[in-house]
Amino acid sequence: MKKLVVIGAGMASGRMLEELFDTAPGAYAVTLFNAEPRGNYNRIMLSPVLSGEKSYAEIVTHDDAWYAANAVTCRFGEAVTRIDRARKVVVGAQGEVPYDQLVIATGSAPFIIPVPGRDLPGVITYRDLDDTNAMIEASGKGGSAVVIGGGLLGLEAAAGLRLRGMEVTVLHLSGHLMERQLDEAAGFLLRRDLEHRGIKVMTKASTTAILGDDRVEAVLLEDGTTLPADLVVMAVGIRPETRLATDAGLEVARGIAIDAQMRTSDPDIFAVGECVDFNGQLFGLVAPLYDQAKVLAQTLLGAEAVFVPKELSTKLKVTGCDLFSAGDFAEGPNREDIVFRDPGRGVYKRLVIEDDAIIGAVMYGDTADSNWFFGQIRDGADISTLRDTLIFGPAFQGGAPVDPMAAVAALPPEAEICGCNGVCKGTIVAAINGGASDLAAVKAQTKASASCGTCTGLVEQVLASTLGDRFTRKAVQPVCGCTELTHEDLRRLIKSQSLKSMPAVWQAGAWKTPDGCHVCRPALNFYLLADWPLEYRDDLQSRFINERKHANIQKDGTFSVMPRMWGGITTPDELRAIADAADKFAVPTVKVTGGQRIDLLGVKSEDLPAIWADLNAAGMVSGHAYSKGLRTVKTCVGTDHCRFGTQDSTGLGIKLEKALWGSWTPHKVKLAVSGCPRNCAEATCKDVGIICVDSGFQIGVAGAAGMDLKETERLGQVETEEEAIALTIAFVQLYRENAKYLDRPYKWVAKVGLDWVKERVVDDLAERQRLIDAFAVSQSVYQKDPWAEHVRERSEQYKPVNLSGFAAE
Amino acid sequence: MDVTLDPQARTFIEVAEVWVPQEGRLVHAQGSYGALDGFAEASARESFAKGEGLPGKAWAEARPVVLKAFDGSYFKRAEAAKEAGLTAAVAIPVFAGAELKAVLVVLCADDAERIGAIEVWAETDGLLMLEDGYFGAAKHFEWVSQHTHFPIGQGLPGGVWAARTPMLMRDLGSGYRFVRAESAGKAGLTTGLGLPVPVPGSKTYVLTLLSARGTPLARRFEIWDARSARVGKTGAALLVDGTCARDGRLWDADNPRRAAAWEGPIGTVLGNGLPLVLAGNPAQTAGYDSLVALPIHQAGELAFVIAWYC
Repeated sequence: MKKLVVIGAGMASGRMLEELFDTAPGAYAVTLFNAEPRGNYNRIMLSPVLSGEKSYAEIVTHDDAWYAANAVTCRFGEAVTRIDRARKVVVGAQGEVPYDQLVIATGSAPFIIPVPGRDLPGVITYRDLDDTNAMIEASGKGGSAVVIGGGLLGLEAAAGLRLRGMEVTVLHLSGHLMERQLDEAAGFLLRRDLEHRGIKVMTKASTTAILGDDRVEAVLLEDGTTLPADLVVMAVGIRPETRLATDAGLEVARGIAIDAQMRTSDPDIFAVGECVDFNGQLFGLVAPLYDQAKVLAQTLLGAEAVFVPKELSTKLKVTGCDLFSAGDFAEGPNREDIVFRDPGRGVYKRLVIEDDAIIGAVMYGDTADSNWFFGQIRDGADISTLRDTLIFGPAFQGGAPVDPMAAVAALPPEAEICGCNGVCKGTIVAAINGGASDLAAVKAQTKASASCGTCTGLVEQVLASTLGDRFTRKAVQPVCGCTELTHEDLRRLIKSQSLKSMPAVWQAGAWKTPDGCHVCRPALNFYLLADWPLEYRDDLQSRFINERKHANIQKDGTFSVMPRMWGGITTPDELRAIADAADKFAVPTVKVTGGQRIDLLGVKSEDLPAIWADLNAAGMVSGHAYSKGLRTVKTCVGTDHCRFGTQDSTGLGIKLEKALWGSWTPHKVKLAVSGCPRNCAEATCKDVGIICVDSGFQIGVAGAAGMDLKETERLGQVETEEEAIALTIAFVQLYRENAKYLDRPYKWVAKVGLDWVKERVVDDLAERQRLIDAFAVSQSVYQKDPWAEHVRERSEQYKPVNLSGFAAE
Repeated sequence: MDVTLDPQARTFIEVAEVWVPQEGRLVHAQGSYGALDGFAEASARESFAKGEGLPGKAWAEARPVVLKAFDGSYFKRAEAAKEAGLTAAVAIPVFAGAELKAVLVVLCADDAERIGAIEVWAETDGLLMLEDGYFGAAKHFEWVSQHTHFPIGQGLPGGVWAARTPMLMRDLGSGYRFVRAESAGKAGLTTGLGLPVPVPGSKTYVLTLLSARGTPLARRFEIWDARSARVGKTGAALLVDGTCARDGRLWDADNPRRAAAWEGPIGTVLGNGLPLVLAGNPAQTAGYDSLVALPIHQAGELAFVIAWYC
């Protein structure tokens, strides 16, 4: 095993060791020197320790157990005296350690301003836990503290000492606080906030001397001011700690010179962290240190890695002060500013723009969008199109997004969640409280969502509403990219909030696009017209071409025209009219369809209104062969002619078609009525298929004979024709009110369960009547012949656009 | 699910209840009563007009109110409280601007062992003075507190006042100098939670809850930051600080826990802006017996939620 010696147990070398042990445990035998008598802790969190908001134990990154588990030989509290490159050994106070590879991670040393009195007891720096403890100790006696330096560290020290009860003055050489991170305006707000908490701030204050006999007593400023001080904290800056490297003859600039693999001028010696100098750049914040650590770990393991310095951002850890700064915000000839100020709330935001990209940002008081802005800076994103609203951040477009969770949280315990198995919210919550923490466990214990699964989303919302962030749900499938809502959410939202127009839904549902898209608009249009037939106006723009043109477009761009033949019954007059129309408009193909009607194929778009007018004149209406709605009701001849017929199946078929035509449904709906169980009308594979028997009518639903093949399931058996019609209408209306757009009835029933449908359509007479009444209301609006309407009002739209006029101009 | 540590230790707070305004009176919304069924029943029946009883007084006077003796006081449920062994109560009004959202009442039982402190600090002449407090058996600490005052920015109460945020302080009595550390250490007080109590008008109130290891006021504390300046207009909150007897530290600066509105107990508080008291559902209360979550409405928004679990 190769021998790796690391000098310094700070955050950079700590992260490097983590990477090393994670990637290749056992690759190196590691010896770790640290001058401090302890291992790696999160130095960034020293300020909350100083203020008493955190304890030291809480900021330890690597404890003894971690070092033991990774077989690190710890030489803590032992300073390294020199590196002998010729013999490849590191010399510590208690003996030598040989290395194959060496990592120098000595960090930085605080800069001590060269004024008289700087060595007096009571003058301390702020770098490590010992400094922190010294400040805590000193603050216990009360009195006054002077912090020299109004940068990040100095201000954190000042706030901590103030919380500990000291009178604190901050001296800062520059004109405003944190001048490297903040501009003047933000610096002013920060100063105001600090003064509000009882910290005195003096800018342009140059220290001449620190006064005192046996220990510090006061600080003397250049202008002659004397500030009494029991404690002086120097936080004016840091410089890389390079003594060992210099003594060993390594190349040292401002820090230890390294290449992009963290290698020093000696190929077996590396350096990482605040002690390095990379192309003239020094590092004091943690993010690039972690990047360096990763590169170094890979280099040590022989992998390719390159260190590239990235943009940095800064935040201050003083409870109650929110500031953010990133990038470059100096004035410049090609630079423009966008500034937002809210003096009442103490909010200041400034973006610096150059060449249509944000190159710097300073925020004070409201830093909620800082990560987004930082991303824009880092990516050099082009913001020219966003510029008007850029300062308001990523969320400027909409109001607060809708929260479907609010409705779920408001449900009472007795509210039914799973209709199939009759499971209410209280039962599910009880199961969760009993330890069920995911969907599978709730399903196993309560049967909720164990049948059709339609309520899965709702059960998950109950889980989330009960457990909060300890529940992680599966990704749900939203309607489309315009929204986060699922079809089920959307239908619930439209009903619960009485949303009656598309803009209302877009607003309430936090649509991300201004006008929706080709996926969500047809679905939304259907949901709205199904739920609010009287209030909502059907939107032609949201329909597919076939529904817009009321005809099926064919592959050559012509259309097919199919008049309705009620129950498959026609007359010589109708047949003559069809034949005449076929002649008149030179219809190339006339076809008898499987749905018992006649299709005229190959009609040109501009001829559509005229052919419709002719067919209308013969008493025929649109067969809706193109719509998500009722298509045909196929029948056999029944008792009128057939020897086996048990009921008037044709008559029932006609009545059903006359009742249901014109209605919009989530997907197409096909019916059939067979006069006896021989089933000549093939009713057992329809969306609704009725089989007549001697004792009445067997009503089957949810059949399929397309991509899927499925026999109908028995909804019920009734004695009279009226009941058969009532059940059929109620079923269709229930489907209209609840199904997901483009789910055929068989798919929908599979989700909600036939029992759920039966309860509402068969068992609950009041609900059945409500469904029938609601359907009647909808039909009062939508049961009209679209052909007649389009011939009357829209025939212009079917004419081709004459382009010759434009060409002449 | 893990179960509570040392459940045999009696906690400092025995009862927590939420009263909400309804048609001009404060009515009982939720409560955690432990085994004190009689007091629970008496409370469920009760309601208070403005100025009436302890919750009504907190409402009328728009300030946190401490009551240390029930007999002969305005406390309406004195008889039931006496039977239940309860001896002191603190009512904390939750205001959103001028609107009273709810009053949280906590009740404590007195005996020679129970240590803890619930303190109400009020600003007088630019200093925070102890307006009142309940200290259980921590008599010396009570005396020290009565004779301590805090300028803005100093100590736990002064820090809360200056930062306008809740703050959590650890290891009150050991290692370093909580301003009242010496006495706190002697009393065994370990953890302190300070929070602003915004009320209509210009008065400043800070409430502190100081917990001792033996008779913990709570075994887990959490501070959730919901300010839009921090989380945007999402209605969510980030766990910015917390400590737990079982899980240790609860903050992660790089990847803070997030609570979405209406999701979980904290989410419920974020959603409706009302205090929440939950008991008997360890799955929802981090494995502990009960949870009290208190919203802080500030500057026209729900700014923080603090939660304690016992």
